[in-house]
Amino acid sequence: MILTLSKTEMEVVRRVLGREPKEAEWKLVDALWSEHCSYKSSKVFLRSLPSTGPNVIMSVEDWQDAGAVDVGDGLALVLKVESHNHPSAIDPFNGAATGVGGILRDIISKGAKPIALLDMIRVGKLDDKGKWLLKNIISGIGFYGNSVGVPVVGGELSFDETYNDNPLVDVACAGIVSKDSIVPSVVREPGLRLVLAGFTGLDGLGGASFASRKLSGMDEIGAVQIADPFAGKIIIDVTLEIAKEVEAIKDLGGGGLAVAVTEMANGLGAVVNLERVPLRFEYLSPEDIIISETQERMLFAVKPEKVESVCAKFREYNYPCEDIGEITAEPKVRFLYNGEPVAELPSDLLLSPPLNVWPAERKPRKREPEREVALGEALRAVLTHPDLVSKEWAYSQFDYEVGTSTVVKPGQGDSAVVELPNGKYLALKGDANQDLCAEDAYECGKAIVAEAYRNLATVGARGIALVDHLQFGDPRKPHVYQDFIDAVRGISEASKFFSIPVVGGKVSFHNEDKNGNPIKPTPLVVMAGLVEGKLARNRVEEGDLVLIGETRNELAGTLFSRIFGGGGEVAKTRLMEDLIASNLVIKGINEGKITWNKDVSKGGLAGALLPILAKGFSVRISSSQVIGTSNLLGKMFSESGGRFLVLTSDPQWFMYQAGRMGIQALAIGKVTKDGSKLVLDYETFPMDSIVENYYSFLEGSL
Amino acid sequence: MRTAVIKFPGTTCELDVVKALKQVGAEAEVVKFNSLDPDRYDGVVIPGGFSFGDYLRAGTIAANSEAMKGIREMADQGKLVLGICNGFQILVESGLLKGALLPNLNLRFITKWVRIRVRRKDTPFTKDSKDVLFMPIAHAEGRYYLDDEELASRLSVFQYVDERGMPSPQANPNGSILNIAGVTNEAGNVLGLMPHPERASFPSISPDGSRDGLEILRVFGK
Repeated sequence: MILTLSKTEMEVVRRVLGREPKEAEWKLVDALWSEHCSYKSSKVFLRSLPSTGPNVIMSVEDWQDAGAVDVGDGLALVLKVESHNHPSAIDPFNGAATGVGGILRDIISKGAKPIALLDMIRVGKLDDKGKWLLKNIISGIGFYGNSVGVPVVGGELSFDETYNDNPLVDVACAGIVSKDSIVPSVVREPGLRLVLAGFTGLDGLGGASFASRKLSGMDEIGAVQIADPFAGKIIIDVTLEIAKEVEAIKDLGGGGLAVAVTEMANGLGAVVNLERVPLRFEYLSPEDIIISETQERMLFAVKPEKVESVCAKFREYNYPCEDIGEITAEPKVRFLYNGEPVAELPSDLLLSPPLNVWPAERKPRKREPEREVALGEALRAVLTHPDLVSKEWAYSQFDYEVGTSTVVKPGQGDSAVVELPNGKYLALKGDANQDLCAEDAYECGKAIVAEAYRNLATVGARGIALVDHLQFGDPRKPHVYQDFIDAVRGISEASKFFSIPVVGGKVSFHNEDKNGNPIKPTPLVVMAGLVEGKLARNRVEEGDLVLIGETRNELAGTLFSRIFGGGGEVAKTRLMEDLIASNLVIKGINEGKITWNKDVSKGGLAGALLPILAKGFSVRISSSQVIGTSNLLGKMFSESGGRFLVLTSDPQWFMYQAGRMGIQALAIGKVTKDGSKLVLDYETFPMDSIVENYYSFLEGSL
Repeated sequence: MRTAVIKFPGTTCELDVVKALKQVGAEAEVVKFNSLDPDRYDGVVIPGGFSFGDYLRAGTIAANSEAMKGIREMADQGKLVLGICNGFQILVESGLLKGALLPNLNLRFITKWVRIRVRRKDTPFTKDSKDVLFMPIAHAEGRYYLDDEELASRLSVFQYVDERGMPSPQANPNGSILNIAGVTNEAGNVLGLMPHPERASFPSISPDGSRDGLEILRVFGK
């Protein structure tokens, strides 16, 4: 029996119970007290995230599976993000696929129809193992999302050696439900029946505790769940059909039945008759039934008189559905097998693990000298980096058109846009920045929120809600824990500044390489917003380039420094500049002044120019017009925030409006249709091979 | 036209098809696979998705299900039968259309907007259609194959073409013989195609604001 409980925690359990727990009871406590389910090392700090607002309908109240905000016309948007990092490291196909299945079930457990998925993938170098991981992660996501008919509308794909052994696979999902039909995940009254739909099998045993420790290198394949999207599709369709007839819905995810039942009871008690659980294999032991994490199962709390009609809907599809127990007033969670007690523990004990606040210490920042690199060499290295190439190889494997509502499709803009049933346009974007977070997690926490805000502005949308996912190494290491705290502070501060509520989130610790080094801190946010007036549809044509905002010579924590090393300043996040610049872009879109625009982020100004060059256009830049630094490498590769690159036929309008709003915007050059080349002042850099690489890199490597 | 849009377990596009059919004034409704009464409808659409999880082979289980008896009956009566993507795979597997749909040559799922040329305008679906239509495909098994190339050419209604309207190898997304994107039966009342007309029926989601899918779906509005 592998447990992740510490000695102290085991002592607490023994003391509260006044006896030695049975093996099944240890497993139960292990699952519920796992970092994955209990947030014991993160909860204290997560409480600082601003989770309320006038538009919030349901927030990160304990044990609600996802948060919800008002999007008008009686509709609520449900949003959630989650990772499947450890399973994907071992079995990338099933790990990624079950990540999609799990997030979809979180959305339907609110009674909401899933309308869009995003996937944010981070892998290491593209050697044989890296290729195997990436190919299978992408096809696993496609396999599940395509089969259930939910479009994958956007995402990120980044390559960084910090993820060699521990890839990050984040998936987010948005769903829509009528405001007054949101179903809770917890019950408030005893006497309800517990109804379980779906077979329980042998896969994913102890998955929650597996996800809460570092990868051991031993055979842990038994902790990975197997994906069955066909069953997933049935459970989505039927759950949405019966959502109005049940009192609470909970997805069976980490910790299986143990966690679902205990969290649903929410301080009340429950009795579960394990012999009634429909099994995929005979002879599954009662202990295994409790903690199995087989996918495609849902738990419902149902009024006794409605059990039959609920299960009848599942049986139409030959899908198993059984009444397995009930919610009791006595605050104890009891699992029985043919009447014999298997585990019997107080609800209170299971739901309140001792919280941890670990020692924290900022790692000293080594000041390295700036690197001098020839401009041509730097352009070539940055612009051919896999992080910046076309991701068509990946997104063409996803059915991003199903649902007939994908307005801005993958590869077309900085944010995905989908049409809601009320006709409004919803913009979605996920952002993370491991380079900056490795330098300064606090500035980075702010920066990723600001970047998501800018990304939404590029399509004409303003953020209304965000969810976060905090991915770090072992929290018991002081440098890791400090980064975690700093990142939460940064995210919290920026969300407060933009008045965007954080309606949900997850934490994933213990992401390390095989030598025990933590991954670069990788907090990630997913922001949702509504297009306020006009929607921007990017198209590249001849015109003037305007750079909105100031370019600081801050090259540490950029793609440039990841490639070339070297130091320099770390970017500070000046939220006011992000806000004003975003306001200017949204105004420009609404007044028809923008033909194409992009926020300046990975790869700096050079990176922002690449999509224009890739369309076969040439760009002339006058470097003196890029203001804020005299350093040429800084001008081209700094990733300092608050900036947009805009293609327009009316540059004067931007300069004038920027001045009125309190920022600067300058016409920095022109776009013309005479082959792919970059002319910087008087020097010409041919771009043909870079453009060729842009389109062929992923297809050719994989 | 009263049109049944069939939902098998695993079908994903039924609501999209109904939404698009409403654009042309069809009386369309979703009908569960086990409750189709062929006498109540004048036309039937088998939408895309992964019927029965596409276990065994895409479309096989659905093709052998009870529901296909009703659809075959409708086909025999000369009523309109349209299969889109997985629906095309089901029609081929059930023998209502000739040929087979094999895994794409690059062996992976592919979503892409493509151009297709309408090669035959003597079917009820294509009678008044434009010559070239712009629509998305989204499939892993869409490589049309029939060992009798002459017959394939005769039955083929749609052909993948490039921007100049030519059926070039570059325009062929999956390796179909003769760039075939869709075929009909001898009588012309059963049509199957891999591209999704329902996804090309709304200007807001087409890359160029077109709605070419309606060229094919319009017949259900009559």
